[in-house]
Amino acid sequence: MAIYKKNKDGLAAAGFLTPTLIIFGTFILFPVFFSFYLSFQEWNAFSWEGSFVGLDNYTRMIQTKEFWDVLKNTLIYTIGTVPLNMIVSLMIAYGLNQKLKGKKFLRTLFFAPVVVSPVAAALIWRWLYDPNFGLINYSLGFAGIDPINWLNDPSAAMFALIGMGVWKTFGTNMVLFAAGLNAIPDSYYEAATIDGAGAWSKFWNITIPLLSPTTFFIMVMSMIGSFQVFDIVYVLTSGGPLGSTKVLVFYIYEYAFKFTGEMGYASAVSYTLFALLFILTMVQVKYMKNKALA
Amino acid sequence: MQKIDKKYKYLNISKSVLIHILMYSLAILTIMPFIWMILTSVKDMSEIFVYPPQWLPNEIKFQNYIDAFNAAPFGTFYMNSLIVALSVTLGQLITCSMAAYAFARLEFKGRDIIFYIFLGTMMIPANVTMIPTYIVLSTFGLIDSLYSLIIPGLASAFGTFLLRQFFMTIPKELEEAAYIDGASKWQVLLRVIIPLSKPALATLAIFTFMGVFNDFIWALICINSEELKTVQLGLATFRDKYLTQWDLLMAGSVTATLPILIIFFVAQKYFIQGITLSGLKE
Amino acid sequence: MKNKIISIFIITIIALTVISCSKSENNSDGKVVVTFWHGMMASSVPALEQLIQKFEETHPGIKINAQTIPNGDAGIQKLMTSLQSGTAPDVSWIYSDYMEDLVTSNSIYKMRQFIDGKNGLTKEDLADIYPSLITYASWRGELYSIPMEATNLALLYNKDLFRQAGLDPNHPPKDWDELLDFSRKLTIDKNNDGKFEQVGFFIPVFPATGSRNGWMVWQYRPFLWQAGGDFIEKDQSKVTYDSEAGIKALTLWQKLFQEQKLETFTSDFDMAFISKQLAMAMDGPWSLPRYKDLMKGIDWAFAPLPAGPAKQATIVGGEYLCIFKQSEHPDEAWEFVKWIASPEAQAQWCMTSGYLPIRRSVKEIPAFKKYLEENANYKVFVDQMDVGQAELSIDYGAMQITQHIGEAIEGVTIGKRDVRTSLNNSAKKSNDLLIRARK
Repeated sequence: MAIYKKNKDGLAAAGFLTPTLIIFGTFILFPVFFSFYLSFQEWNAFSWEGSFVGLDNYTRMIQTKEFWDVLKNTLIYTIGTVPLNMIVSLMIAYGLNQKLKGKKFLRTLFFAPVVVSPVAAALIWRWLYDPNFGLINYSLGFAGIDPINWLNDPSAAMFALIGMGVWKTFGTNMVLFAAGLNAIPDSYYEAATIDGAGAWSKFWNITIPLLSPTTFFIMVMSMIGSFQVFDIVYVLTSGGPLGSTKVLVFYIYEYAFKFTGEMGYASAVSYTLFALLFILTMVQVKYMKNKALA
Repeated sequence: MQKIDKKYKYLNISKSVLIHILMYSLAILTIMPFIWMILTSVKDMSEIFVYPPQWLPNEIKFQNYIDAFNAAPFGTFYMNSLIVALSVTLGQLITCSMAAYAFARLEFKGRDIIFYIFLGTMMIPANVTMIPTYIVLSTFGLIDSLYSLIIPGLASAFGTFLLRQFFMTIPKELEEAAYIDGASKWQVLLRVIIPLSKPALATLAIFTFMGVFNDFIWALICINSEELKTVQLGLATFRDKYLTQWDLLMAGSVTATLPILIIFFVAQKYFIQGITLSGLKE
Repeated sequence: MKNKIISIFIITIIALTVISCSKSENNSDGKVVVTFWHGMMASSVPALEQLIQKFEETHPGIKINAQTIPNGDAGIQKLMTSLQSGTAPDVSWIYSDYMEDLVTSNSIYKMRQFIDGKNGLTKEDLADIYPSLITYASWRGELYSIPMEATNLALLYNKDLFRQAGLDPNHPPKDWDELLDFSRKLTIDKNNDGKFEQVGFFIPVFPATGSRNGWMVWQYRPFLWQAGGDFIEKDQSKVTYDSEAGIKALTLWQKLFQEQKLETFTSDFDMAFISKQLAMAMDGPWSLPRYKDLMKGIDWAFAPLPAGPAKQATIVGGEYLCIFKQSEHPDEAWEFVKWIASPEAQAQWCMTSGYLPIRRSVKEIPAFKKYLEENANYKVFVDQMDVGQAELSIDYGAMQITQHIGEAIEGVTIGKRDVRTSLNNSAKKSNDLLIRARK
């Protein structure tokens, strides 16, 4: 066994990393630092010049009511989407893990929404949600539920967004859960069967605990994903009605690309979002570690 | 004894039937929007806006597709999307496996720091980097060319992370045998690691392909020329132009959606294998 | 074997990429190529192609490369980014909302430069163009663009539904009172389930944050003028859309929206109109070509917008052509712009596209005269040009102020909020913005 020198593969590593580092440095790191710099500037995107304003952008953000509304909407979306998404995807993955005919076919069907572009998906969903002609209200009618004005009622639009959001993304999590379920050795279940455990007991005592690394990974990724939701908001509700579905990234988009001279402010909000996500992830990692040690 | 067996068998069959019914109905529910889209795409305008909703068209109207194809060059859009998605996928497979190998196996200064910076960037919203990225591309004169969609995607933190996790699960003994035979690090990567990592590579390939294929905002910003538009951008312009002509819009949406679904259907075997990554659990 | 297939596959991708990544340079045979961006609806593109063909026939040295760009938000985003990277077109369609950005960044030419030049325009030419268009095409009194076509808003209505409701099909609403009255008569709940099967008059309400906000506010503007109000002080020191006139106009919208329960409309009105569930709406001349096919079996007509308590008014819009300083061929670009503004080109363009001419003298051209006689609906728009008003372009934060107005409209209709408070809140935001911009 060779003695480890700290930098023994330095040269080789440089070779392996160069292509990645070039692209990464140019298109990720430089932009990240540049927009950090922008967040302390009042920036004119046209003339490409700015003036240093210190923390003004950040203080303005804290004092703006809209920012807090938008943050609240983002939280509601995340709380509405992540657990629902995980429950749905775990249930379906569990179902697919049973003996089934046409398993592959089913899996493809469940995954299909992920594959479809948000533009096409929103076109069809706008219509499903139509209060007069939409299939959703029509179906609810059979259950005796009065028509809901999904996209024009501020109290319903977020649910509409969450509905489409879960539909569009649960497939990815389903596949990840399926992988996790596959990795649980059959012997555990067999042993439990011999001990006389029922299906529920097996699910709670074997599946859930052994799946927890996968669950954790999925939770972190889904949370990051839903905090950054943009595409489906842009195409389904445009942040309306009355701003009820305006989320953080949509807010950033408005200030960065729609309004003049607000790049600096947009960058400040972006960095706040980044910090939030970072803290959130760290807390989760910490919690997970503690749990693993206990 | 036999009696009990029979009872179990009976229970199992009914349980199995139940699961089948449940799973198939859920699946149909999931793809209901597509079914609706396809059915609408062959309806006449007069059948679209009726209440209660009408499921089947009175007469299948393929004319909608002819009209949609006459209205927009979907063939060109597809070609562009495929070029971009395939190039990015191929590029990421190369760069990510190289970088992942370095992070998983090599000892060098600053390895962990660089790796954590990589991971950290996954949390940065894409909007933050958009404008500076655009500036960089424009200084090289790459705007309004497919390169502007390809080059920024040629490396990926997610891909590097995914492959690194997988590479770490490969037993070191396999490589050591190769080193004894006098192989270089590059040869080990190519001949030992890569062949063992096909599932992980397939996963990355499909994730990347789908992601790039469905990207909309970036293409919207970078592409001007009609002949360079991608499917998503083409569909969005198509939507703006035909506002409420749902028959054409649905025909266009089906045209933009169905092929990718078919590709996915064919490729999913590799995909599902690939996703079974023990690496994800760490 | 498998490896071989894979390598062939990879090589093919690389080859394809290299071949097709860049724009194929059009073979221009030594001609000067002028790139022209527009956001025309698909139904108008054939007319544009004819127009360009005509230009290229009469100007053999110039080739026009017309490209479609998206409307609204996405359009300005494209222009912004293309300017930063030096890939701007020679000539582009613009709206008044873009003017501030384009002028302050020194991106477009003053038209004066070309008008006074050798190949310029005469005083008579300029006086022939509708003054409202000139206002709209200017920024702080300086002309930065030349109108390509004019549009305005008129009232679209279904004569059959008028008859069914016992109204005279040849007497569309003349003022706000009639508009409200007729709307009530035309709004019908056939089976008494609390849901209207037919609605009288559609007013557009879209999310203020969305890309159709501009379109909503644009249609609201005539109502503010009809009530005697305006949007902003002439010196741009503060907004005035929260005046008493503003309250009158928005109250009318609120009433119309709530009485007819318009919140069930989540898309634009045309499908409802075509399926005979809607009797009246506002629309522009650009829809005339497509309505010919779309409105089979409906007895429809256009009429002037009803007059308000103060006056008769409609909004004049249109698209304006500006020339970018990045252009390598500004003179050829000007030649194209100037030619489009000529009466002959205008006559051809307007008769094929359904847009309105930008100058009065087009009405004297015999072919156009005949066209007017044969197309009564089109004539409504042309006649309305005389009461047409143009919005004053806003110097600072036009996009944000438009969004503030949109928020007020959305707030009192969908949000059922109080008109005065909503307008005041929005106006305060706009004024704060103007103060900040001034600093």
